[in-house]
Amino acid sequence: MEVNEQTVRSATRPGGGVKRSSGRALRRKRLLSAWLFMLPLLLVNVLVILGPSVATVYYSFTDWSGLGPAEWVGLQNYTDIFSDGDFWGALGHNLLWTVIFLTVPIGMGLGGAFLLSQITRFQMIFRVLYFIPYVMASVVNAALWQNILDPDRGVGSVLANFGIPWLDGVSFFGSERLALPAVAFVDNWHWWGFVVLLFLTALQSVDKELYEAARIDGANRWQQFVNVTIPGIRATLVFVVLITIIGSLLVFDYIYIITQGGPAGASEVVGTLMYKEAFGRFEAGYAAALGLGMSFISGIIVLVFIYLRRRGWEI
Amino acid sequence: MHRPLSRRQFLVQGGKVALGAGIAGSVLAGCGGGSAGGGAVTMWSNLEGAEAQGYFTKNIERPFEKANKGTKLDVTFQPPAEIDRLVRTALQGGEGPDIIPTPGPAYAGEYIDANLFAELDEYVNQYKWDDKLLGWALDLGRSEGKLYAIPYQLQTMLLYFNATLFEEMGLQAPRDRDELEGLAEELNGQGIVPFAAGIGDEPAAVEWFPTVFWNHFSGPQALYEALSGETPFSDAVSVDAIELFNSYVQKGWFGGSREKFFSNGFDALHADFGDGKAAMNIEGSWFMASAADFFGQKAGNENDWDWAPLPPMESGVPQELYALGIGSTISVNARSENTDGAASFIDYLVADKKRAADYMAAIPSAFNSPLPFENGDFPGSMDERVRRQLVSLSQATDKGNFGYTNWTFWPPKSTVYIQEEIQKVLTGAMTPAEYCEGLAGAFSEERKEGLVPKIIKPGA
Repeated sequence: MEVNEQTVRSATRPGGGVKRSSGRALRRKRLLSAWLFMLPLLLVNVLVILGPSVATVYYSFTDWSGLGPAEWVGLQNYTDIFSDGDFWGALGHNLLWTVIFLTVPIGMGLGGAFLLSQITRFQMIFRVLYFIPYVMASVVNAALWQNILDPDRGVGSVLANFGIPWLDGVSFFGSERLALPAVAFVDNWHWWGFVVLLFLTALQSVDKELYEAARIDGANRWQQFVNVTIPGIRATLVFVVLITIIGSLLVFDYIYIITQGGPAGASEVVGTLMYKEAFGRFEAGYAAALGLGMSFISGIIVLVFIYLRRRGWEI
Repeated sequence: MHRPLSRRQFLVQGGKVALGAGIAGSVLAGCGGGSAGGGAVTMWSNLEGAEAQGYFTKNIERPFEKANKGTKLDVTFQPPAEIDRLVRTALQGGEGPDIIPTPGPAYAGEYIDANLFAELDEYVNQYKWDDKLLGWALDLGRSEGKLYAIPYQLQTMLLYFNATLFEEMGLQAPRDRDELEGLAEELNGQGIVPFAAGIGDEPAAVEWFPTVFWNHFSGPQALYEALSGETPFSDAVSVDAIELFNSYVQKGWFGGSREKFFSNGFDALHADFGDGKAAMNIEGSWFMASAADFFGQKAGNENDWDWAPLPPMESGVPQELYALGIGSTISVNARSENTDGAASFIDYLVADKKRAADYMAAIPSAFNSPLPFENGDFPGSMDERVRRQLVSLSQATDKGNFGYTNWTFWPPKSTVYIQEEIQKVLTGAMTPAEYCEGLAGAFSEERKEGLVPKIIKPGA
């Protein structure tokens, strides 16, 4: 450390040429060390991210079936996307999914976090309970709810035994009308507890004196929530909105496990469609184009956030 | 379940082998041959269930290693629903085991086109597969005259019924469409679901139904003409079959309602069938492997099951008709460094009648080698219903009364079309005519590319 400081001081003095060059050597050495430390991670990234990404871009311009040689087809796959009714249907479901997840879990998360922040006893128990579904495997959660919502053996038939017949025989995952909201319900069940914890952590950093000041000014609970809580957790809120939008565009697991996009495409999203194109219809080139299309849309959303932040938005 | 051979059986079997297939080659092949190239042979298997996998390890894998000193067989059991994707990914990356399964000849065709499977013709002569295996089945593994895949898991679609329920209600298995529809009406009226059915676990399983209605309504001759390109799938005879299937679904005969048909999982629908909440089940011969899980003491009921051939639904269709299916093929990886060892094991697994019969008796319908079996070939331990099915299939095929399952005789993209687009017909988003028109288009494209598997003429 001492040597370093001396070197720096010498380098700033007039006539200290030798010392200056030894300073540059030291900086180069430091830079080299840094790169050497980063190299393994960089190699892993090149292998598992950059390589496949470049390959995906290439294959999106081919008619590759997933096996054997690929023939260059130019922009054909991209133009096909525009006339593919299945794609637009699936994208519509992604947007509906986004709307659901921008409202239901965020609303529940805000409400849950606000209510939890008001209690001190048993708060940890509730936090753990809310968080458990999030750490459970999606396959387990899905199987659980498939049984609970089974039209003949699930909660509907149990309620019917108690004289509440309106859910009896309802096939949530087999109805074109209900399949997508039903899967969204299951996904939300696992997701919202995580959102609660994010908001709760953010709430705990809001200055308590602001609430006190608001109360003195005559603000009720709702006004405190709108005028103190929301601005206080704005950064977290924006973060949750961002990951919700991107997550909704890339959603795959719960839909694939429960309905595989059915019935008749009623719960199809672009992720499941892409999987079917690649591994079912053997159109890996087209699936690559679909994947890049979705990455492009996600990229635009991220860029919008970055742009707004640079424009001074506190997000 | 495995019954050792008596001395008499041994002599009879030994005599048959020696007389039927030539002395030296067959004896070598029948014993595992000791002709494996040595070294390690890796294999992926789609065999499901602890009992079946245990049988395979104990009665196939280890005896093969014992008979072929120096050869180590390394078998990995992969989930059947995932195995094709895993194979595809592995082969694409230049990897994969020596012995590779596919879900049927249509899928194998894709790998053959991509030069990923080794040519097996030298082993056809070495192991006399042309003499041993059913010719039509072996032809399905050929491309441009060369053999690349050995088919197995010979299967067909059947009408299963809850025999106890039928006996209690004084019912009999239907023999024509009128009887089938009358039975369905009667059962439905009594609150019993006519057919246990559902595609919640595997949406692709919906393909069983177009297969059944095309074979037993349109008939094998019409199917042959469509598959050989003489007539398009958009002809009325194909459209009407889909109309009929759709009408049964809309009536709630399959699974209780259209929505339940979409969401019922296999365990639930089979449990309903075993408990008598549903009376019949249209499914492949593979159901015999798991029927015991849903009937009798093990399932907590006192019911029993039986099967009957699916009835003709239109005049001119043979009374006893079986749609032929091949559920799996096995091939050797073109990159295998031990092709001799892999071929030796394929012969050991598929082509020995005694070994195959024992395997088929112990684990019904999980294997079903395409060999020309006769009643006496099966061990006494075999379930009578399983034996009857295998013998009936063999006899009907001999008479030319066979049809075509779409997962065997249709090319891959047409198969996927059948699986995926039929749901749109059931929800009303597409008419049967539009569905068949789309299929005709997809099929025609694949036909031009030479992807349609070889087809045998009905009655041949």
